[in-house]
Amino acid sequence: MATLNTNAALAKEEVKAIEIQQLNKWYGDHHVLKDVTLDIYEGEIMVVCGPSGSGKSTLIRSLNHLEEYQEGQVNVFGQTLARDRQSDQLIHNTMGMVFQNFNLFPHLTVLENCTLGLTWLRKLPENEANRTAMKLLDRVGIAHLAERFPGQLSGGQQQRVAISRSLAMEPKIMLFDEPTSALDPEMVKEVLDVMIDLAKTGMTMVCVTHEMQFARQVADRVVFMADGEVVEVGPPEQVLVNPEWDRTREFLQHVL
Amino acid sequence: MSASKYTDNSAVKRFKAAPARPPLKQNRGVFHILRQRCFNNIGNSVLTLLILLGGFYLIKGMLDWAVINAVFVADSRRQCMEISPDGACWAGIISWFNGLIYGRYPIEEQWRVNAGFMIAVAWLLPLMSKGLPLRNFVLLSWIGLFPFLGGYLFLGGQFGQELGLLHGLMTSLALAYFVLNYLNWGLHKLGKQGLHEVFVPVLSQWIQRRVHLTSLLLVWGALAIAIAFGLTQVSLPSVAIERWGGLFLTFIIAGFAITMAIPVGVVLALGRRSKLPVIHWLCLVTIELVRSVPLITVLFMAVTLLPIFLPADVEFNKLAQVLVAVCIFAGAYMAENIRGGLQAIPAGQYEAAKTLGFGYWHTMLLVILPQALRMMIPNIMTSFISLLKDTTLVSIIGLFDIMLMARNIANDKDWIGLHTEPLVMISILFFVICYGMSQYSLNLEKRLKVDR
Repeated sequence: MATLNTNAALAKEEVKAIEIQQLNKWYGDHHVLKDVTLDIYEGEIMVVCGPSGSGKSTLIRSLNHLEEYQEGQVNVFGQTLARDRQSDQLIHNTMGMVFQNFNLFPHLTVLENCTLGLTWLRKLPENEANRTAMKLLDRVGIAHLAERFPGQLSGGQQQRVAISRSLAMEPKIMLFDEPTSALDPEMVKEVLDVMIDLAKTGMTMVCVTHEMQFARQVADRVVFMADGEVVEVGPPEQVLVNPEWDRTREFLQHVL
Repeated sequence: MSASKYTDNSAVKRFKAAPARPPLKQNRGVFHILRQRCFNNIGNSVLTLLILLGGFYLIKGMLDWAVINAVFVADSRRQCMEISPDGACWAGIISWFNGLIYGRYPIEEQWRVNAGFMIAVAWLLPLMSKGLPLRNFVLLSWIGLFPFLGGYLFLGGQFGQELGLLHGLMTSLALAYFVLNYLNWGLHKLGKQGLHEVFVPVLSQWIQRRVHLTSLLLVWGALAIAIAFGLTQVSLPSVAIERWGGLFLTFIIAGFAITMAIPVGVVLALGRRSKLPVIHWLCLVTIELVRSVPLITVLFMAVTLLPIFLPADVEFNKLAQVLVAVCIFAGAYMAENIRGGLQAIPAGQYEAAKTLGFGYWHTMLLVILPQALRMMIPNIMTSFISLLKDTTLVSIIGLFDIMLMARNIANDKDWIGLHTEPLVMISILFFVICYGMSQYSLNLEKRLKVDR
């Protein structure tokens, strides 16, 4: 299959981080995910693109159970997810998520946003949690804003805080749900730069995004979805430059 | 990065922001505004003058009655009338002032009421310093422990006799906590470690986990035992609840209702949003039932029905019944306020908390409720203010709160028929308190604004 071409697959042993098998979901009568089957390998950067309403967000929100699905299964590092405590634990230990609207906690400072999980869930002492969080904030270049409140920050800065907040919980897989769609054009780059840095560390990433430049630059594979189906999967130079399907070509003509 | 994207770089114009101009000046003088808005034509000028004239007579009438023609020193209402027939008779209020504040609480024991309220305020003062260790516990202890201490001070009695064992122990714990908290506050201010930290090095040889907590509990327990022993040596004359009254009783009832309203309201509001049908319906029915019944009815029911439901040997005093009733009533109203706040929190906040791994209680306590409560401060304060005023209804079931004390003045043989002045006095008192509360809430709102 197409995976043979990918850098990640060549560089690493092929450990499947996420296996999606025959996933189906309905909103009422509306069939939003149709038999989605997809493997995501450890260390792989997977970009999911497609027109709005094609089910990309629903797909990655199904991976960490923000959405329910009616049929099919998702395996994370070989373990099948179910609706139980054990699966929730697995999800929380392995996956972090970054949202379109940042969803920072507005009543807490930037630093407190990042340390909340460390102090209350990991039970780290305060100074240790602060040190970890400051290291992460420094990595995304906003350590100097640690004492501010999210409302005082620009969109790009907020999204970088959101990324640090997720990273603080040390996930193995990061899910990005249109992380730059709510940003002013001038701020998109600062967030993408952080994501590119993250990609270089070998993090497994699944990104729903419309940034085709980013996809071409860092993605190991690109998934094109339309009407709840996976139309094409392959390395960016194939899917984005020379797609097999007319639907993909039509979409790319609109966005490029 | 890519200046070479453009083919012609030679003729690029350099952009420089224009200097900012100061804003246009507006004439904002009082005189100017008056002339522009109140005297801009003949009709408006006449209206303005009429209103000023009306206002003048209104204020003059009030001042004449309340200050200029008023009598401040007299022995009876009759004497008041003789001195000045159309002025206020404040002398009656002055002679009954102590009753208005303390009810029929014995005068020589009234210091205990003052002490209780001062401790209640002092208890919360350490909250002013940010970064105080165990800061969150100050408010919790105030809710959980202070009532015992207050109860002991107001009721009096001898440890082991009138004062029950449990009540006595809780009082000792409360006093010990109060002392410890102040010591720790002082040490914290001086930059020293807290008193309880003294035992940490010793204890850490014996136990590994929760050394600090154990150390704190040890110090606290030891102090409490010492205080309990001290309490057995002193004895405060007991004052029956029937003698409590006036503003003092109003404060107790309103204070209790206000502090319990939030916890009860949070529980009911969360219960109402619960997915478990039993809890959902139980909370829904409680809220709707209590909200659709007048407070007077709830009070009457508490006094007449509670004793029927409870086993015969449980003796309940009237005040305790009223406290339970007011607490449920306030909680039901608060629940709807809080539910409004909960609904205003975007779903993204729940999702973010979930993806970080927080469960239901963590999400609620750390993320959702702090935001919902802050957002609802104006509504919550409105409820508190109306609650404070509603507590005057307890006079109907025969508790001598400030309202009943005021009506009592008119029954006194010296001051028979003195109705207006006590009511005016109460209005002033309530206005001062409620206005203070609303100003405080504005201040709180500014300090705790969610989106800074």
